[in-house]
Amino acid sequence: MSAPAAWELTPTAVVDQDLPSRAFAYVALRVTGLVLSVLVLGHFAVTHFVTDVARDNSAFVARRLSSTIWIVWDSTMLAAALAHGAFGIRLAIADYSTEARARRFWERVVMAVVVVLFVLGLIVIARAANA
Amino acid sequence: MNAIQIAFLSGLLLVLGAVAVFSGTVLRSAARGGRGLTLGLAGRRPEHGELGRGAFLAHRLTGFAIFAFLCLHILDVALSSVSSRLYDDVQHVYGTAPLRLLECGLLFAILFHTGNGLRLLAVDGFRTSATRSRQLLRLVIVVVSVLGVAGSALILAPLV
Repeated sequence: MSAPAAWELTPTAVVDQDLPSRAFAYVALRVTGLVLSVLVLGHFAVTHFVTDVARDNSAFVARRLSSTIWIVWDSTMLAAALAHGAFGIRLAIADYSTEARARRFWERVVMAVVVVLFVLGLIVIARAANA
Repeated sequence: MNAIQIAFLSGLLLVLGAVAVFSGTVLRSAARGGRGLTLGLAGRRPEHGELGRGAFLAHRLTGFAIFAFLCLHILDVALSSVSSRLYDDVQHVYGTAPLRLLECGLLFAILFHTGNGLRLLAVDGFRTSATRSRQLLRLVIVVVSVLGVAGSALILAPLV
């Protein structure tokens, strides 16, 4: 029996195929995606359209991160984007890594990168917020 | 060009390299699945499912590219915590012509990934028919093109 091609695995098929963890990933991917559709587009608009990218200097960052709404916005966006990326890339890894060892290796790489960047991002936001 | 700007550009090259390797893996795998690689966006009328398959591939490729850039972006924003001078030096690079072109690419990637993602939510959530799903995809392509071109004009305007 040949495995279905990656593109034939609809989200529903992915869930039916496996465990509760798959179901959790399915829901988390969609919830974070919905949140990001607002947060990322807003972030891009503010840093590229409202203010030109050449004027996004450190004073601009400091000014934004002195307001509560942007602290909440950026922290939520950081967490949601990294979680969304990790869950999404896990699906891709499952599709292309035929060996279990290779799959575990790449999953750990993604996990490590995401955890390090999340902690770093939180530190940066907290420092700017307290400045 | 100073050391931090060279470091940033090296990081950017790493990001582009990772995107190239990932894209190669995805497209080779798709090609092995048969039926070639037409995205159904050009030439003859897309066959049943072909457009959706192109959307799946584009969603995966744009998703990885956005994630790869996000990794670099978190690092360059973190520079603001070290020294405002370092951050401003990197930000200066973001304002140059080649980077502005990449930002236009990033905008198109984000717009497509968002639009197609919302389409998937609608299809999953409301048990939309296959025909309606394809109509939604065409709508997404139109909206992405319009907003992408308009946004790119704003991004590139300071160069003119």
